[in-house]
Amino acid sequence: VPGMNSGLSPADPTLVAAFRSALLHQGLIALLVTAFLGLLWATARVWRPATARTAPRAGVSTRSGEPRGRLVLRVGFGLLWVLDGILQAQPKMAGGLAAQVIEPAASSSPAWVQHLVNWGGTVWSFHPVTAAAAAVWIQAGIGAWLLVAARGPWSRLAGLASVAWGLVVWVFGESFGGIFAPGLSFLTGAPGAVLIYVLAGALVALPDSAWRSPRTGRLLLAGIGVFFAGMAVLQAWPGRGFWAGRINGQPGTLAGMVTDMSGTAQPHFLSALVASFGSVAASNGFAVNLAAVIVLAALGAVFLTGRAALIRYAVWVGLAFCLADWVLVQDLGFLGGLGTDPNSMIPWVLLFFAGQLALTPEPAPEAEVAGTAEVAGKAGAAVMSAGAWSVAAAAAVAIVLVGAVPMAAAAASRTADPILAEAIAGDTAPLNVTAPGFSLTDQNGQPVSLAGLRGKVVLLTFLDPVCTTDCPIIGAEMKQAGVLLGAADKNVELVAVVANPTYRSTVFTQAFDREEGLDTVPNWLYLTGSYSQLSKVWQQYGITVENLPAGAMSAHNDLAVVIDRAGQIREEINADPGPGTASTQSSFSVLLSQYARQALASS
Amino acid sequence: LTGHGRAAARVGAWAAGTALTALAAGCGTQAAPPATPTPPVQAAPLATSLVTAQGTWAVTVMGGTAATDNDFWQLFLRPAGGTRWSLVTPEGVADNGGLVATAGAGGTSLLAGFRPSQGLAFSPLAASSNAGQTWAPGLLDAALADVPDALAVAPSGQTLALLSDGSLSVAASAAAATAGRWSGLATRATLAATGPGRQCGLAAVNAVTFGPGNAPMAAGSCVRRGVAGVFADVGGRWQAAGPVLPGGFGADQVQVLGLAADGGGGNVALLRAGADLLAAWSRDGSWTVSAPAAAGAVTASGFGPAGSMWVLAGGRAETIGGPGQAWRALPAVPAGTSTLAAGPGTSYDALAGSGSTLTVWRLGAGGWSQVQVIKVPITYGSSG
Repeated sequence: VPGMNSGLSPADPTLVAAFRSALLHQGLIALLVTAFLGLLWATARVWRPATARTAPRAGVSTRSGEPRGRLVLRVGFGLLWVLDGILQAQPKMAGGLAAQVIEPAASSSPAWVQHLVNWGGTVWSFHPVTAAAAAVWIQAGIGAWLLVAARGPWSRLAGLASVAWGLVVWVFGESFGGIFAPGLSFLTGAPGAVLIYVLAGALVALPDSAWRSPRTGRLLLAGIGVFFAGMAVLQAWPGRGFWAGRINGQPGTLAGMVTDMSGTAQPHFLSALVASFGSVAASNGFAVNLAAVIVLAALGAVFLTGRAALIRYAVWVGLAFCLADWVLVQDLGFLGGLGTDPNSMIPWVLLFFAGQLALTPEPAPEAEVAGTAEVAGKAGAAVMSAGAWSVAAAAAVAIVLVGAVPMAAAAASRTADPILAEAIAGDTAPLNVTAPGFSLTDQNGQPVSLAGLRGKVVLLTFLDPVCTTDCPIIGAEMKQAGVLLGAADKNVELVAVVANPTYRSTVFTQAFDREEGLDTVPNWLYLTGSYSQLSKVWQQYGITVENLPAGAMSAHNDLAVVIDRAGQIREEINADPGPGTASTQSSFSVLLSQYARQALASS
Repeated sequence: LTGHGRAAARVGAWAAGTALTALAAGCGTQAAPPATPTPPVQAAPLATSLVTAQGTWAVTVMGGTAATDNDFWQLFLRPAGGTRWSLVTPEGVADNGGLVATAGAGGTSLLAGFRPSQGLAFSPLAASSNAGQTWAPGLLDAALADVPDALAVAPSGQTLALLSDGSLSVAASAAAATAGRWSGLATRATLAATGPGRQCGLAAVNAVTFGPGNAPMAAGSCVRRGVAGVFADVGGRWQAAGPVLPGGFGADQVQVLGLAADGGGGNVALLRAGADLLAAWSRDGSWTVSAPAAAGAVTASGFGPAGSMWVLAGGRAETIGGPGQAWRALPAVPAGTSTLAAGPGTSYDALAGSGSTLTVWRLGAGGWSQVQVIKVPITYGSSG
C-alpha cells in the first residue's frame, strides 16, 4: 500500500498545530454561515404575516408525526455521526489516520482492495490537514443535519448524505469493513460499522409511507436475521480459528484481538476488564465461541420469524449481547487517540430497536391526514416552524460543505500540501544576505559561476552523486519543483553542488542526472570542481562533508537555498527529505516551487 | 403471501444466507494450489576472498542483519607475507547493496565494485594499486550483478562486468572503466540465443572472467542437464568453453558458482552439479574436473593460489589444492565464520563477523585458534 503513509509521526507538532488551526478557521466559517442563515430566517420571520407569527408553535406536533423507528435511526445515527466528527478532531488524526488506521485495515485485504484504498489513503496523506478537517465537518454536519431535519425532503436528503459519506468511509476508511479479508467476525465489527450507518441512512431516506407499514420493520428484521444467521455460521465454521482460545501457544483469533485492544490507551479499569476477558477467551475459547454462535443464531432465527412478541425480548437480549461485545471485545472502539467511531455494536442496537418499533407503526398524525381548511392555521404555523428547522438543516449542510469543498479541491490536486515539508524542515525565516559566489564546472564540463546566473532565481542544494538515500530524493524534488513552476521555470535555475570528496567528477554527476532523469531538464546544473574548490563552497554555505569508514556513504547535511535574481539569499531550508515518501517528496517540491515564486515576485 | 408462504420464504432466506456465508467462509479459507516447482538458479553469495600480488583480500558482510540498510560489506586485506588483517573498505560510497572485488591488471591492483542499493541505480567502482591505502573512483553506469565474480580485469586492463540483468558490459581499459566508458558486450538473451547458449539452455549468467588470449568468458546455469554453461567470446563469436562433466552427472542441473583466471593463462571454476560440488581447471582449453564433494547450501566460496578453492557449505569448510587433488574437509569452522581465506602458507584463516567485530581464526595443527580481533567502525543508520 505505497502511497498512504506520509512517514511523519501522527503527533508531529507542526501537523497537529496546522490541524487545530484549520479546525478553528473552518469552525469560524461554519459559525458565521450558521449565524447568517439564522439572521436571514429571523429577518424573514419579522416580515411574515402576523397570523403566522402569532400562531401557536406547532413544531412539536409536526415532529411528533415522525414514525418512532425512523426517529430512533435519525436521532441515534445523527448523534453517532456527531460523535464520529468529534473523534475525527483528535490531534493525531491528520498525521495518523492513513498510516495507522486505513493502511492496517487494508493490509490483509486482496490486492484490488488495497489498490482502491490506496487511492483514498494517498489523498489523505497528500492533504492530511484538509482531509482530517473535512472528515470532522462532514461527519459533524451530517449528524447535525439528521438531528435537526426531522421530516420532509431535508430529512430524507440527510439520510442520503449519510449513505453517500458512509460508503466513502466504508470503502476507503474500513477497506469494505474487511469483508474481503480473512478472519471476518461479527464480534470484531464485520461487516464494518459504517455499513450500518449506510443502511440506517437509506432507511431514513425512505418516504414516510414506507414507515407507515409494518413491512419495513419485517424486512429490516428479516435482513438482520439472515445476516446474524450467516455470522453465526462464520463464527462456527471450522478452521477459522474461533474455537481455539490459543493457537500454537499464542492467543487465538478472538483472544488475540481482545488482548491487543487491552493495550490501547484507556482508563485502567477498562483495560483490566478487557484484559481479563482476553484471558477468559484464551482459556475457554470453545465455550466463549459457543456462546457467541448460539446467541447469533438465536437472534437471527427470532428476527426472521417476524413475530413481534418474540422480537420484543430478542432486542433486549441483543442489546445485552452487543453491549457486552462492545465493552469486552471492541473495547468501546474509539479509544487510543485514533479511534474514529464506537465500532459496530451501538449501530446494531439502534438498528434492531428501530426494526422492532417499525413492526408496529403508529398512524399518520392528524395534520397529515386531514388536509382540511380547519387545520390551515396550524399548518401555517407548522410551515413557520418547519422553516426554522429547514434553516437549521441548511446550516448543517453548510457545515458539511465547509469540509467537503476544500477536500474536493485537494483531492483534485496531484501535489501534496507543503505542510508535510514544513513539518520536516522546521521553521524557516526569510533572509536577505548576499549569496557567496562560486565558480565551478557543470555536468557537461562547462564553467558556471553564481554571478553568471544573476537575473534568475537559483534553487541551490548540495548532493552526493553516489548517495543512496537523501540525494536521489532531493534531486527528484528539485526536478518536480521545476515542473510545478510551469512557465516561470525559465526564470529559475535548479542548481546542485557535489557533496562528496571522492566521487565528484562529471562522470558521476552525469550518472546521477541520468539516474534521476535530470539529464533532460534544461535548467538543471550539477556543479563540481576540485576538492579545494568544493571545500570552499561547502564552507561558505555551512555544508559539512566527510567520508565515513566501513562502507558508509559520505555524510553531509541537507540544505536548500533560494537565491533571488539579485544574488541575495531569501530562504534557507533544511532539505532533509525525511521519510522520503511520495507525499513528502511532493510536498517538498511544492514548498521549493513556492519559495522560488516568492523570490521571483520579490525581485 | 400466506402465513405458510412467508414462513417458507423466511426459511429460504435463512438457507440462502447460510449457504452464501458458508461459501464465503470456504472461499476465505481455501488454500492456493501449490505452484509448479521450477529449477532453482543458485548463485554464489558475495562473501569471498581472493589472492593478488598485494596480498589476500576478503569480502564479508558486517553490521546488523535485521535491516538490510544496516548490512555493511567490508573489505579486509592481509598483505602478502603478512599475518595480520586490516580494514581497507573504500570510502565515499555506501556498500549496503554488496561489494564485489577482483584482481586488477596483472594482479598488481584491486578493483572493487559496489552494488546499488536504495536510491542508487548504478555501481560506483574503486581501484587501488597500493594495497588499499588510497582508492581511485570509477563508474559502471548500471547495476552490478549480485555474484562474487561479477567483475574481471584482463592483464591488458580490459574490464568485464556482469550486470544484474544478466548482460555483460566491457570497458576497453582500466582508464575507460574509471571514466565510465563501458559498452555492451552481450545480453543474457543474446548469449542464450547463440549455439552454445541454446545447447545449454542458459537460464542465468553467474560469473565473468577472461580466458586464454584475453577472451571474455561468461558462465552460468543451464536448464539442460549435465551441461556446464561456460562460454568464451573468441573473435566476436561466443563458443562453448566449459568442461565436459563425467557421465555420472548427466541427470544433474549444473550451475557455475564461480569462474576466474588462475593467473597463469588458465581458468578455475566452481560448479554445482545436483547435490555435488565440483572444481574444474582449464589449461590450453582442456579442463580437468575434480571428484565431487557434497554441496549443501553454499554460504561463501573463493579461489586461492595455484588453482586452489574453498567452499563454506552447510556449516562445513571444504578445500581443494588444485588439479589432481581431492576435496579436503577442514576442521569445523568457528561459529559465525562468514568467509575463509587461503594462507598464510598452507594454512587458512576463518573470518567471523558479528556486528562490528571481526574475529580472525587461523588453522593450525591443533585446530582453529583466534589470532586477531578487529573493531570495525560501522556507522549504523547512515544508510537508513
